[in-house]
Amino acid sequence: MPEKFEVMVGNKAVAHVVRLARARFISAFPITPQTTIVQYIADMVANGEIDAEYVTTEGELTAQASAFTAGAAGVRAFTATAGPGLLYMHHPMLATRNNRVPLVMALMHRGVKGMDPDQTDMMAQRETGWMMMECESGQEILDTGLMAYKIAEDERVRLPVIFAGDGYILSYTDEPINIPDEAKVDAFLPPYKTTIPLLPNQGPESKAYQMKAWSVGRDPQASFQDDQQAMENAKKVIKEVNAEYKKMFGRGYGNGLVEEYKTKDAEAVIVAMGTIASTGRVAIDRLQAEGKKVGLIKLKTIKPFPAEEFEKLGPKFKAMGIIDRNISIGSGGWTFGEIRNAMYELDERPKTLQFHAGLNGKEVRVQDIMKIGEKTLKAAGGAKVAPLVEWV
Amino acid sequence: MSKPVPLVKLDEKEYIAAANQSCQGCTGASVARIVAKVLKDKMVRQEVACCGPAFGNLEQPSIYGEVFEGAGAMSTGLAHAFKRMNREDAIVTTIVGDGGTTDIGFQGLSGAAERNENVLWICYDNEAYMNTGGQRSSATSKYAETTTTPVGEFSRGKKERKKNVAAMVALHRVPYMATASIAYPEDFIGKLEYAKNIKGFRFIQISAPCPTGWRFEPQYAVKIAKEMVLSGMWPLYEVINGEGFRITYKPKELKPVKDVLKMQGRFRHITEDEIKDTQDDVTAYWNRLIAKDGKEFF
Repeated sequence: MPEKFEVMVGNKAVAHVVRLARARFISAFPITPQTTIVQYIADMVANGEIDAEYVTTEGELTAQASAFTAGAAGVRAFTATAGPGLLYMHHPMLATRNNRVPLVMALMHRGVKGMDPDQTDMMAQRETGWMMMECESGQEILDTGLMAYKIAEDERVRLPVIFAGDGYILSYTDEPINIPDEAKVDAFLPPYKTTIPLLPNQGPESKAYQMKAWSVGRDPQASFQDDQQAMENAKKVIKEVNAEYKKMFGRGYGNGLVEEYKTKDAEAVIVAMGTIASTGRVAIDRLQAEGKKVGLIKLKTIKPFPAEEFEKLGPKFKAMGIIDRNISIGSGGWTFGEIRNAMYELDERPKTLQFHAGLNGKEVRVQDIMKIGEKTLKAAGGAKVAPLVEWV
Repeated sequence: MSKPVPLVKLDEKEYIAAANQSCQGCTGASVARIVAKVLKDKMVRQEVACCGPAFGNLEQPSIYGEVFEGAGAMSTGLAHAFKRMNREDAIVTTIVGDGGTTDIGFQGLSGAAERNENVLWICYDNEAYMNTGGQRSSATSKYAETTTTPVGEFSRGKKERKKNVAAMVALHRVPYMATASIAYPEDFIGKLEYAKNIKGFRFIQISAPCPTGWRFEPQYAVKIAKEMVLSGMWPLYEVINGEGFRITYKPKELKPVKDVLKMQGRFRHITEDEIKDTQDDVTAYWNRLIAKDGKEFF
């Protein structure tokens, strides 16, 4: 299929990722707001656009566990979920990571308190060792999904990826999306070939890998060090893949890890992810039109956390207003903690303000983000601002 | 239908590591040893938490997921991957205990059976969570003392009947479902030989008495397995496509269950009334099976 534009919802963009990436194993279990992803894929399998094993499992745990072993055996695999489904996958998600299977999974955010979107689902899986990338549009979903396979399958990385979007807001909203040319995607993403065989007659080789993955006969901590190193490597690989994608398809997302929006001359910046970053762009435009020196940093990749990027960004601004559509009860926002941690060793650090917004699907309006920008700018000017943690 | 295969026909090569972590008299290890000899280099093994990874260090390739509940799911993924890779010569085999089959793994088992995944599921049934020290599972027999059903002033051991997972799997109308016993290896090998040559979901539940958990001296493991068959406690049968039901070994006359119960420490406390209750249950079920022999299963 040659390149074309089509007006479609984010969930259909995910199905196009699966088609274009030529995933050969798809496990499917429906959950709102992910459901139409597996329906679109089913249609594409039914009409021959996708040539793959399409397995309708009896639950998300099986969806994850079967994609894990299919990927381990050496086929490109895919699954998708949302909220509670992601929570149910927790146990086999660790097996996927422990066995270093480059599985790619789409996530349509649905929080842990009900049907509405926030990042508390993904936050609950923060320590599974999966890479996690956020998207703010259906187009970004399509592009990120394709990049995700290339990043995951890179031998320097070999870790699974979640590419995520805010449920409903992206899953069910139509927008014009560019669908890249199939042949071009094939050139960008060649067929997956595992370097770790799990086939009859290949016992010793597969055993050797298994033993490495589980630290058998090694320093018991060694495989954790391997996983951590792979995450560190991923930072470089994500940048490379983002740059290559931009060169081939004309679209990239910052440097793959973070994107700066109108930060030149800015004294204060807002840090946001996903669709809040989209709303944030409008808020920044309006603030700057009023002469207020506030910019935006969009966090694209949250795992691995781009600490080095924030070490570089920190000294450029006097204050950062960090928006988290999530919370670790008892600790605070995910990115707030990470960003402060990343900037700790700097001689000159910006002030940091925490904002919780959009949890449990609460609407985040342009004026809300403008207020966040104004408060952050006030802090940048040296004023004492309170409270440090604000629920918008 | 399956045909017994004489033991002498079994591959002389050993695929199981001579040094493994099984207890003395472990019949689970014998199950793994036989399965590996029958399936040879066609076998790709999917492992879950159970005694299996401890006793079954086999030469064949395997993947271990640390997902106790995941045997059905993980074998599903392997089977589809091999189909996609044109490697359907591989026999995806999972050797799972009774807990991973009848309890925590039951949803995945039913899902894989319903989808008729191209998988061979061997359940070595030692009637409890033996790897963790003998806690009751739904496959534990009534009145058995386990570490979570201890006998005391207010407890007579396990209160409930053993879950009939074999019948449940057969009701999924899978291509092949059989029970087997480690005391009848010719029957077991015959069933494995039959199962390995057909596609789809195949399930064999094999009785594997556990000296450690059932509390008997290791040398009696096979004898107890045999007495269970001879008393009707462990009927040997197979169901093909959920229809054709056949008892594969019919003792001329059933021995009383009392003898085999008394051989096991886990039933040391059992009273005459409780023996009678068990006997009535076994006799009634055996009679129902005999009435169905050679006919439709349901």
